[in-house]
Amino acid sequence: MIFWILLALMTGVAALSVLVPLARAGQPASGSTGGADEAVYKEQLTAIDTELERGLIEPDAAEAARTEIARRLLAAHDKSEQRFRMRTSGLRMKTAQAFALAALPLVALATYFTLGSPDEPDQPLIARLIAPAEGQSVDVLIARVERHLAENPEDGQGWEVIAPVYLSRGQPEASARAYANAIRILGPRPDWLTDMGEALTMANQGLVTANARQAFERAASMEPTAVKPRFFLAIALGQEGNTQAAVQAWESLLEGADETAPWVAAAKQQLAGLQQGENALRGPSQQDIEATQEMSAEDRQEMIRGMVSGLAERLSQEGGSAAEWNRLMQAYVVLGERQKAEETLAAAQAAYAENPADLSLIKDTASALGLSGS
Amino acid sequence: MIVELGHYALVLAFALTLVQCFLPLWGALTGDDRLMAVAPPVSVTLFMLIMISFVALTIAYLTSDFSVLNVVQNSHSAKPFIYKFTGVWGNHEGSMLLWVLILVFFGALVGVFGGNLPKDLKAATLAVQAWVTGGFILFLLATSNPFARVANPPLEGADLNPILQDIGLAIHPPLLYVGYVGFSITFSFAVAALILGRTDAAWARWVRPWTLLAWCFLTLGIAMGSYWAYYELGWGGWWFWDPVENASFMPWLAGTALLHSAIVMEKREALKIWTVLLAIFTFSLSLLGTFLVRSGVLTSVHAFATDPARGVFILGLLVFFIGGSLALYAWRAPMLKQGGLFAPISREGGLVLNNLFLTAACAAVFVGTLYPLALDAVTGEKISVGAPFFNLTFGPLMIPLLLAVPFGPILAWKRGDLLAASQRLYVAFGLALVFTLFTFWLWGMEKVLAPLGVGLAVWVMAGAVSEIVTRVKFFEIGPKRGFARLVGLPGSAWGTVVAHFGVGVTVLGIVTASAFQEERIETMRPGDTVEVSGYQVTFDGAAPRRGPNYVEEVGHFTIRQGGVLVTELDPSKRVYTARQMPTTEAGIHTIGFSQIYLSMGESRGDGAIDVRVYFKPLITLIWIGCVIMSLGAVFSMADRRLRIGAPKPASRRKTAQPAAAE
Repeated sequence: MIFWILLALMTGVAALSVLVPLARAGQPASGSTGGADEAVYKEQLTAIDTELERGLIEPDAAEAARTEIARRLLAAHDKSEQRFRMRTSGLRMKTAQAFALAALPLVALATYFTLGSPDEPDQPLIARLIAPAEGQSVDVLIARVERHLAENPEDGQGWEVIAPVYLSRGQPEASARAYANAIRILGPRPDWLTDMGEALTMANQGLVTANARQAFERAASMEPTAVKPRFFLAIALGQEGNTQAAVQAWESLLEGADETAPWVAAAKQQLAGLQQGENALRGPSQQDIEATQEMSAEDRQEMIRGMVSGLAERLSQEGGSAAEWNRLMQAYVVLGERQKAEETLAAAQAAYAENPADLSLIKDTASALGLSGS
Repeated sequence: MIVELGHYALVLAFALTLVQCFLPLWGALTGDDRLMAVAPPVSVTLFMLIMISFVALTIAYLTSDFSVLNVVQNSHSAKPFIYKFTGVWGNHEGSMLLWVLILVFFGALVGVFGGNLPKDLKAATLAVQAWVTGGFILFLLATSNPFARVANPPLEGADLNPILQDIGLAIHPPLLYVGYVGFSITFSFAVAALILGRTDAAWARWVRPWTLLAWCFLTLGIAMGSYWAYYELGWGGWWFWDPVENASFMPWLAGTALLHSAIVMEKREALKIWTVLLAIFTFSLSLLGTFLVRSGVLTSVHAFATDPARGVFILGLLVFFIGGSLALYAWRAPMLKQGGLFAPISREGGLVLNNLFLTAACAAVFVGTLYPLALDAVTGEKISVGAPFFNLTFGPLMIPLLLAVPFGPILAWKRGDLLAASQRLYVAFGLALVFTLFTFWLWGMEKVLAPLGVGLAVWVMAGAVSEIVTRVKFFEIGPKRGFARLVGLPGSAWGTVVAHFGVGVTVLGIVTASAFQEERIETMRPGDTVEVSGYQVTFDGAAPRRGPNYVEEVGHFTIRQGGVLVTELDPSKRVYTARQMPTTEAGIHTIGFSQIYLSMGESRGDGAIDVRVYFKPLITLIWIGCVIMSLGAVFSMADRRLRIGAPKPASRRKTAQPAAAE
């Protein structure tokens, strides 16, 4: 409402600035237009007198200038006498008034309604960030915590709160950084270290990097019975090709483990894969899939990624069957990584260029998955 | 609400310019006092409305209101406060709004302080100004609305172009715009005079303060822009003949010519046709500059967003205003009466010479700027016209002009005596000779032109001073009366002296900084020392640092002279995180009028880094000279004679009134 009042007020002031001078009727037609020119020339004449007095100009030059200016003065005087003057005409007045009263608001409002968004409120960032948390988008809430942390970077609890949020939103790098900050400020805690390692692993498409491994090792050393860090450490050993140590790690992990625990099946499957040798098709078994249902979302995603990246690496280095290539494409499509799926398709097509039967198999799968193959 | 109020104020201002375009002009042509009386109050209302609009946009920037598209595209919540503020005009839409703000500001100035103007001229001038304003508001609303909203506001903006994140941006564009756009008012005066057939000596007098004001700001704006480029771009140069620089330099040259020819028109009523044409040309060049910069024809720091639709629109405005005013000129000019006559050797002759050289120089810059563009458009061939072209064309034109500068103010009006004038300049000539020989003695014959350049600069400076000293016959009447006479001289006389002296100072800076600078480009490791002009510059190492919205690699350098510590400098290379854009921050230390300039280049790994080290003798004189020049304009504006017919204080009005009514 205030907005419309202010709009009306501005329009009113604008219209008045036209109407008021128009309405000042009866004002004497003072200050003939010639007056202004004449004033200038008269002043020029006095200026010459002053200059002459001060000796800045030679007397004969002064005389010549005076004649010239006097001639101009006379011309200006004549002109102002002759200047055509008309009285204010009623028609002109009415046109002008109509212009100010009608055309002005009409043009302004019509243009504004075409271009403006009167219902759109201001949204200063601060106001958006301090508004009640209910009904706010997660983005706003995250931005709010981020702002808080930018101002108070030593707030360990803040980092702890935001770290898992980042992970669940698919920002593992940010999550790992947040965990690292929480650990730096509040000291190491095994679950943070584990989650940081997991975030780092996710950030590297399932590869347990040296940093991640270090985090898991620290977590394991602080809490030797914890399963999760040891689980990832075993995966790391397998990824490094240290099959023997990996088998040992899985065995010790499974030893005395509660058979019903969701991770056990996955661990067994990993172990079996290692024992069968590297060429075995490392796909998830039914049990694995069931196990993953019970795992947390992150664990599940991690497991799938770990397997996919293992397969991708092997296929790219050693090659494989058409079925394996197809499976990798499928996996990427399921994970939503179409780009990688397309790359896989291209690689598979290259690998089977001389084998029309397998090539058509790959092409069929690709077209079923909706991959372009270009 | 604030944003939308700003938007409405802009739209309302557009509607109001439509009123202002027609009513006062109609009044001026029919002699209707009441219609003419509309112009001044409306000019003030227009200013207020655009001000509301500008403030609204500023508030959106300061509060990081990302529901405004323009803020999203050009701001970032982590940006320091000052750059949130300057960011308002650090982009296309905002800077065009500033353009319009300055247009209406000059309109309002004439509306409020133009009391000495005849009503019809004032009304017509304000109407023409409203045409220009209306054109630009239409441009804003149609192609680059700063108040466009975003339905789902993001939480962060794209940040401001990092090169523009500098205190220079706070000062350079507003100054430049006040100058650039300020010439719109002389344009409006010229067109109004043509419409009303009122081109006479009095007109020149009325226009002079406005020309001076615009010229003063344009001078400062160009100088500021030059200094900014000098320390921000890290190339060590202060003028690059970049098309964008030329775009602001051309109106300056034309404006300077206008300033001088208007004097002839005012004093002798000669050069009327030419002066009016110059007034039109000066603003046309400003418009052309805007077109070049904004249409995307030129790509540079200034081409914030290039959009063909905008280019076509500005081209349309350009054709309308320049074409319209020149058509009007072609129709009216033959009706103008010839003014006073003068001999070639006279003050008028000197000013004509000045105009000749300045416009020729302007034409040279024009050709150098537009020829490559035209060639590219016609044949697709890309050529680059750089400093060599301008040095060969602009330079030779400036030398005779500078040689003639001291003569101009000394020659008498109408018929001058060159011999007598020379006699009054023998001291200046002697000083120039002494300095030339001294420079030769100091530097030997290796640089022949530089000592001559120094002599030229001294000639201009000493010439300016000796003009005023001989004018009051200082040494003939004794210092006591001499000082009294100096103080009593009109402001415009002082303005001439100060401005011409400033020209000399700038020339001196240009000559010494270009001819005698020492430059070393080295790959330095921590602990390395290079020697430049007797200063030992030691690189102590570089370290990363984090700013509010950038990260930088800061080098630390110690500068010693003969083992004595002079200063420590920390130049840096920044990367602005939001746009991943690198910039250079030069390290500059001023010694007297000279500067040591350090700029960091590529990092070579293992702590080694490319460093450019310059010693630039007397370089600050370039900008100091510009400041002195604009000070000259201030002196000239303070001339009480410019306020003739201005509303007088109440006590004096009684006596003044009958005089005016005679």
